Amino acid sequence: MTFSRRTALKGGAALGATLAMPSILRAQDKPSELIVRAWGGAWGDALKSGVADPFTEKTGIPVRLDFTEDNEIKPKIWAAVDQGRVPPIHVNWDTTTNATISALRGVTVDLSDLPNLEGLLPSAKPVGLEGWPLVNTYAYVYVCAYRPEAFPDGAPESWTVMLDPKFKGRVALYDDGIGFNPIAVIAGGGTFEDIPDNMEPGYEFYRKLKANEPLLGEDPDFTSWFQNSEIDLACTISVNARAAKQSGIDVAWTVPKEGCKVDTDGLWVPKGLPANEEQAAKDFVNFALSEEAQKAWCGALGLPPVRPGIEPPADLVGDPSYPTRPEDFEKLVSVPSPVLVENQPIWFAKFNEIFQG
Amino acid sequence: MAGAVQKARWALLDAVEMLARIVWPAPLRGALGWAFLAPALILVGILVIGLGQMLETSLHELNLATYRLGDAYTLANYATALERPVTWRVLARTLGGAGIVTLVTLLLAFPYAYLLVRTGSAWARKFLLVALFLPFFIGQVVRAYGWLIILGREGLLNSALKAVGLPAQDFLFAYPTVLFGLVQYMLPFAVLLIIPALSAIGEEVELASESLGARWPSTFRHVVLPMAAPGLIGASVVVFTLTLTDFAMPEILGGGTQDFFASAIYDSFFQISNAGLGAALSILLTLIGSVIVAAVFMMAGTGTLGFRGGRR
Repeated sequence: MTFSRRTALKGGAALGATLAMPSILRAQDKPSELIVRAWGGAWGDALKSGVADPFTEKTGIPVRLDFTEDNEIKPKIWAAVDQGRVPPIHVNWDTTTNATISALRGVTVDLSDLPNLEGLLPSAKPVGLEGWPLVNTYAYVYVCAYRPEAFPDGAPESWTVMLDPKFKGRVALYDDGIGFNPIAVIAGGGTFEDIPDNMEPGYEFYRKLKANEPLLGEDPDFTSWFQNSEIDLACTISVNARAAKQSGIDVAWTVPKEGCKVDTDGLWVPKGLPANEEQAAKDFVNFALSEEAQKAWCGALGLPPVRPGIEPPADLVGDPSYPTRPEDFEKLVSVPSPVLVENQPIWFAKFNEIFQG
Repeated sequence: MAGAVQKARWALLDAVEMLARIVWPAPLRGALGWAFLAPALILVGILVIGLGQMLETSLHELNLATYRLGDAYTLANYATALERPVTWRVLARTLGGAGIVTLVTLLLAFPYAYLLVRTGSAWARKFLLVALFLPFFIGQVVRAYGWLIILGREGLLNSALKAVGLPAQDFLFAYPTVLFGLVQYMLPFAVLLIIPALSAIGEEVELASESLGARWPSTFRHVVLPMAAPGLIGASVVVFTLTLTDFAMPEILGGGTQDFFASAIYDSFFQISNAGLGAALSILLTLIGSVIVAAVFMMAGTGTLGFRGGRR
């Protein structure tokens, strides 16, 4: 048996192709893109620069941000999972309350095997749920944002300033009371222990506030209302107030004596994705929990991350909306997710009853 | 040559007829009307199936432990919806708003349509037509945001007020503002529905009335208005039902405190994830809208809309 030059060349080519095969297969495994649901404005910009773009650089997987409202994407994912269809997104950036609801419904993938869960603050772990059907990524505070021009004597010290007739029609809240319900109880003369069994002081506060004709809106509304001088005071997430300030709008924020509600957002991956896409989605979540991403993402948002040891952005050092010390946390009110999940519909119904009257 | 062409035409027509006989044989000819109706019936059928599905969903209660609807059939969602005072308040606001918007829209649309039909100036007709169709190219949401810019505290209207030394006013986020936005949105629909009815009234009918001694107001009241009734009723039904189910204008111009019923449905489905309650509210709104429209047809008679066999 003799080997010609041609045969040797053929054999070499075949060997090369065989050696190259795993990398080709790996390339085929890589999804063409990853769709991540996000909030728009400053929120989306922070996710893009802090997580999505660096993830694409590292993995070569393009990330597309989908700005569908978090409440609207929820039923779409639920229906897709129930009907055995591929969900419309790979990763959901969600409020912990909404994410918990989806976890209770059983549509979330368990993230327990992500290496970057190691070393996170306890607040990263979802409460009242088995395993890691979601992971909390940072905390945020519903601050009292105000126009300094309307408060020449300094920052408002109490949320009860909302009831001052001087600010009639110039006060704003979230349109479902989210971020303010527990604070309303305290501002209305109740205590934290009253929540959730005795919300009446909060409802009474709302009834008084209604006479002052507050505006009810969502994140983009607050920025626009401050920009157009439609309002003087609002309960909104510090990110919105900070973004407004950074874009030149005269807005400041404070934590009044009754405190502010602190909450968390998280990431979760829906069930029903093809195996390679689910893996890429989990890789994305894992990357979002890395020190590099947490620093960039949460730094851009101006929010305390769940990875410890990351310094706050320079403009937020000592800011009560960026809690770092025990005394900062003493001013904040945190309601556990299971309590929120169980009571939010009831609180929302009452809120609506009062303000739509 | 001409004869050959004529022959070929007849041959072609014969062939088409033969083909039609094969595809649609004589025994089926009686069903031709139904065949024409089939696409519409299929569409309406899909709508009815959707409504049936909605009705079925409305009969299941949400389990807060699993955030899924329970298996048991119950009227709990209807009880919840009806026992909440806010449901009645929002319903009253929606029905009242739909009534006011319909009335004001018709009052504005009728002279517009009349002028458009009767004007002798081609330039004026073109202008009125362009002004009528232009809003259709701009979506409702964009128009609502346009009003935010115009009516805002620092908006065009307040700038004009300040320019003449008057204090700025809070125009936005109030019930009248929502109604104003809705009237502006509904006006083109109403005009388009009134135009055919007015076009059908010959100008000579009005002239005959006047030549018999009637002044124009009498002619208008006793001739034009009754003859334009089909358009007016059609327009009122369309404007009323569209307003009854509108979401965007109250949402954007209402500042969160002037919700219409559609907002309550949206909130149930999306904000609190209670599809059962949302479905129950949807069924209630459908029922109320249907009853009102049926009542209008019963009072005005479908004959006024040009249907044969209706009450004259």
